[in-house]
Amino acid sequence: MDSLTHSRSIWKKAAPYLLIAPTIVWYGFFWARPVIQAFYGGFFDLNGHFTLDNYKFVFNDPYFLQAIFNTFFIAIVSVAVEFVLAFGLSLLINIRFKGAGVFLFIATIPMALPFVAIAAMWKAGLATYGWLNSFLYHVGLIAKNGKIVFMSGNKWPSIFVIIIIDAWGVIPSMMIILVAGMQNLNEELKEAGYIFGGTRLTVLRKITIPLLKSTITTALILRIISAIQIWAIITLMFGYLRLPTLVSQLVFYSDQRAPADPVYYQRALAYSVIVAIIISSIVILYLKVSGSFRKEENG
Amino acid sequence: MKKELQRNLVRTARTTTLYILVAGVAMVILFPIYFLVTMSLMSDFEMYNEWPLPMLPSFSMSFKLQNSQKGYLLSIYNKVDNTYLDMLDTNDTGYIINFVKRKTNCTLTREKLNEIIEELKNNSKVEFKLRKNFLLNYTLFFRLKKDAWPAFLRSIYTAVVTILISLSIGGMGGYAFSRYFFKGKNFLKLGVLFVRMFPAVATAIPAAIILGNMGLYDKPIGLAFIYSIGSIGLTIWITASIFLSIPVELEEAAQIFGTSKAGAFWHVTLPLALPGLAACAMYAFIGSWNEYAQAIILTQFNPTFPVVVFEYVLGATGMAHLATAGGMTLAIPAVIFYLFIRRYILRMWGGVRV
Amino acid sequence: MKKPVVFFLTALLVTITVSVGFATGQREGGAAKPVLVVDSRLWSPPEEQEFVINNVLKDFETQNDCTIDFSIVNDNDMLKRAKVQQSTNHVSTDVIIAYVAKFPEWVKNGYVDDLTSYVASWKDRTFSKGFEKLTIFNGKQYFLPIGADVYLLAANKKALKYLPSGVDVQNITWKQVVDWAIAIKKGEGVGKFAWTGVPQKMLIYQFGSMVLSYGGGFPDVDSAGAIKAWQQAVRLQHAFTPAVKTYDNVVPAMKRGEAWLTVTHNARVGQIYESNPNQFVIAPAPVGPAGRGAIAGTSGLAIMKNAPHKALAVKFLEYMTRPDIMLKLMKGTGGFIPPIDECIKLLGTSVKDEVIKKSLIVLNQGVLSFVPGAQFKDWGAVKLVVDKAFNQLVLVEGAVDKAYLAKAAKEIDALRK
Repeated sequence: MDSLTHSRSIWKKAAPYLLIAPTIVWYGFFWARPVIQAFYGGFFDLNGHFTLDNYKFVFNDPYFLQAIFNTFFIAIVSVAVEFVLAFGLSLLINIRFKGAGVFLFIATIPMALPFVAIAAMWKAGLATYGWLNSFLYHVGLIAKNGKIVFMSGNKWPSIFVIIIIDAWGVIPSMMIILVAGMQNLNEELKEAGYIFGGTRLTVLRKITIPLLKSTITTALILRIISAIQIWAIITLMFGYLRLPTLVSQLVFYSDQRAPADPVYYQRALAYSVIVAIIISSIVILYLKVSGSFRKEENG
Repeated sequence: MKKELQRNLVRTARTTTLYILVAGVAMVILFPIYFLVTMSLMSDFEMYNEWPLPMLPSFSMSFKLQNSQKGYLLSIYNKVDNTYLDMLDTNDTGYIINFVKRKTNCTLTREKLNEIIEELKNNSKVEFKLRKNFLLNYTLFFRLKKDAWPAFLRSIYTAVVTILISLSIGGMGGYAFSRYFFKGKNFLKLGVLFVRMFPAVATAIPAAIILGNMGLYDKPIGLAFIYSIGSIGLTIWITASIFLSIPVELEEAAQIFGTSKAGAFWHVTLPLALPGLAACAMYAFIGSWNEYAQAIILTQFNPTFPVVVFEYVLGATGMAHLATAGGMTLAIPAVIFYLFIRRYILRMWGGVRV
Repeated sequence: MKKPVVFFLTALLVTITVSVGFATGQREGGAAKPVLVVDSRLWSPPEEQEFVINNVLKDFETQNDCTIDFSIVNDNDMLKRAKVQQSTNHVSTDVIIAYVAKFPEWVKNGYVDDLTSYVASWKDRTFSKGFEKLTIFNGKQYFLPIGADVYLLAANKKALKYLPSGVDVQNITWKQVVDWAIAIKKGEGVGKFAWTGVPQKMLIYQFGSMVLSYGGGFPDVDSAGAIKAWQQAVRLQHAFTPAVKTYDNVVPAMKRGEAWLTVTHNARVGQIYESNPNQFVIAPAPVGPAGRGAIAGTSGLAIMKNAPHKALAVKFLEYMTRPDIMLKLMKGTGGFIPPIDECIKLLGTSVKDEVIKKSLIVLNQGVLSFVPGAQFKDWGAVKLVVDKAFNQLVLVEGAVDKAYLAKAAKEIDALRK
């Protein structure tokens, strides 16, 4: 009897660890091991000798600086544009007009579409003889000979095109976070603002936005993290190397060059590490501002 | 009276502006999707021989056949310019039939062609109309891209294995998080979040090597192992909140009535949690189904469906109508599953009320 | 979510898993007759394999009462296999079909038999002259070309009104092509000439064909011939379509009418032409002072030294290179040209036949070069150098920059094995 209760209490103590063990094992095997190998492998050549050549290659890669610039420039500009638009849209939805539910439904459709489908759509859309120019012609905005060259392949127009495509696909998820934040706001505070004579704008500026601060940070940082995905659209629209980003270089070297010359695997690993470090620091920043670290102390 | 009228007017104007704005935004979102669908239903002729592109796919095509020096001259009616466009001058009737099908997605039967040729003996030209095979692009995509169908099956297989792994492992983790207190719980929860946000492409290359050592490289099951990393984390977070919402008292009550703890879980908690688990499953499905960045690196001869479509879009050889059909085939399952879990996604972000 | 839905989905998932699991199968066959072992690098797509086995090989099997063991092997494995078989003196492979760039390696190692006397005895076929120097070593022919690909010109008929007077499209020179493209730009206000502008695509071959026409080698960028080619190419600066940098393939632009003029691979030209035969004119690749330059590829039939069924293998080669069989083979599989002059007589006026006819002219008269990928550490990197030079000199500067080219040539040399 005594031993039974004893074994039961051991079982009870062990239960959560047994339940969580598979997750830890799985993560250790399929996540931590690759991560460690990436860090480790980046410092070795094909024969297993220690070398800094892979990193030297990355930092001397003529595309590296461009990749850094493009990654950050596109991320920052598109995040800014997307945030302003998403914020406006969520204010709109928050008015709770008739049909807001339907509108929210429509606005979230792009979330479900695979990147590849989105790219197929825009690639056919933005061709000079594609559907966007056709539409502009049908509504009388351009003449038959006035087709707009959206895809010239030059740097700035390409960046512009990419930001628009990305905004189309990403605004919905940003909007949802903001709408959620707004709905959780204390309405009384806003009412108080109106009672004390605030206009819509001052209430927005002095009450809504400050109260939404943590929601906004969440939305922004999550967005910056997923901005790393932007390489896919770029590659699909313009091919590799036309508008290099960090991740597109990583995939380019590992998928396009390594089969002919395996040393590119090691170089791609160096790229992996750089990408991982940049993203991890943003994630940690996110966890910090979102207050996840503080919760830990409360237990 | 006048004042009230004015106020009403202002209100109407404001509502109208609001709805115009809303309609405009909805248009911007829906219009590209509308065109994706439209293009996937268009024939090669509509896609490449008419500019501006038609805003609607046509249901039928008009043709004209004339006698010519070489044999017969085939023309197709171009709705944009309202003229017949000369396409083909040949005496090979088999080629005409083939050409009509490939170019316009219409089926011209040999009997019909013989009839027309018979008619041509008395007339200088014969005009005729054929119905378009509306979904031909979809069947054609699978027929021309030979690895599309095996890849489609592989993608389903990968998604199913991902679901099974993430539900079993993640569900256990979620249960532990909701029902027990243990050391390092918060650290683990944060860790799970961190892993989920970590860019998976960055680990794809060493993951490929690890899978290679296990003999799982270029196999759907290996992909599923890697995909499940992301979905396990999500499943833990969702299931933890589901199990939390199911009161422990229910389980305890069942135990009082004589079942074991496992029995109580099996007969009481699990059925209640099923809808939420289904949502997790669908989330895992979409994640795995849409993923291709890792799949490019982790597969070689046995790609998944998104990779096949990716390659087709990237190297589209002047067949945008087929590429869009492939894109649609990829998008439809994802959108259907999304409709199922939409509510859960919205709730996850802090309870958006719709 | 309702329970039935959940059960339905679970049931669906299980069914799918099981059915996918069963979806793989294998076939096996046996034989007692003599077995001719044929290893080929060609026809790896399953549907092409099926066509070759059912429509070409089967007839040979019934005529000679034998079985052909046909399998797809890549070039490197084929060479490895040959090395093992020859060094252990245990040869089991009879016939190989290898890539042109690998011919020297096969001959140098003495893995293949001299075919000169057999070829001389077949009076009804002439192999395309352009391939002579690639299949004949020290006056002995070791390979019979099979399945070639080459570069052609395609033009939209709308462009014909800008064709400089007195110019024959079928015999157009590169200089005339450039003048034509410039005239189109002047007349239309927008450039209509297309090459593949996305890095690492076909540009190196499109430009390479031009260099060969001016007497340069491939992939030269700063030889005398190449400089002459650049001098013409830079004149094209504004004659390209505005979106040329985003073309990974010229077919869509040509089909839409966005581009009117291009020089590209015969399979692509075939696609363009077949999309609307009345709208397009096709011609052999343009000529230059040194001749009709074109990048060409081919594979070669050869008999393994000490092949166990030598007599049967010779019969097989004779069968495969008959003009009618060769033509059937090429038409049934994608985008290849039969490298045999007599095939031209068997061609009709159909769209596919037209493409083959023009290609045969290039094969017969052309200054050909194959893709020397095997001589470089990384062919993709060589492509990149040419892509960059093209972008800089033609699209940006519009002038021949010899210093830049000398640097590019050094980069290419550094990539040689």
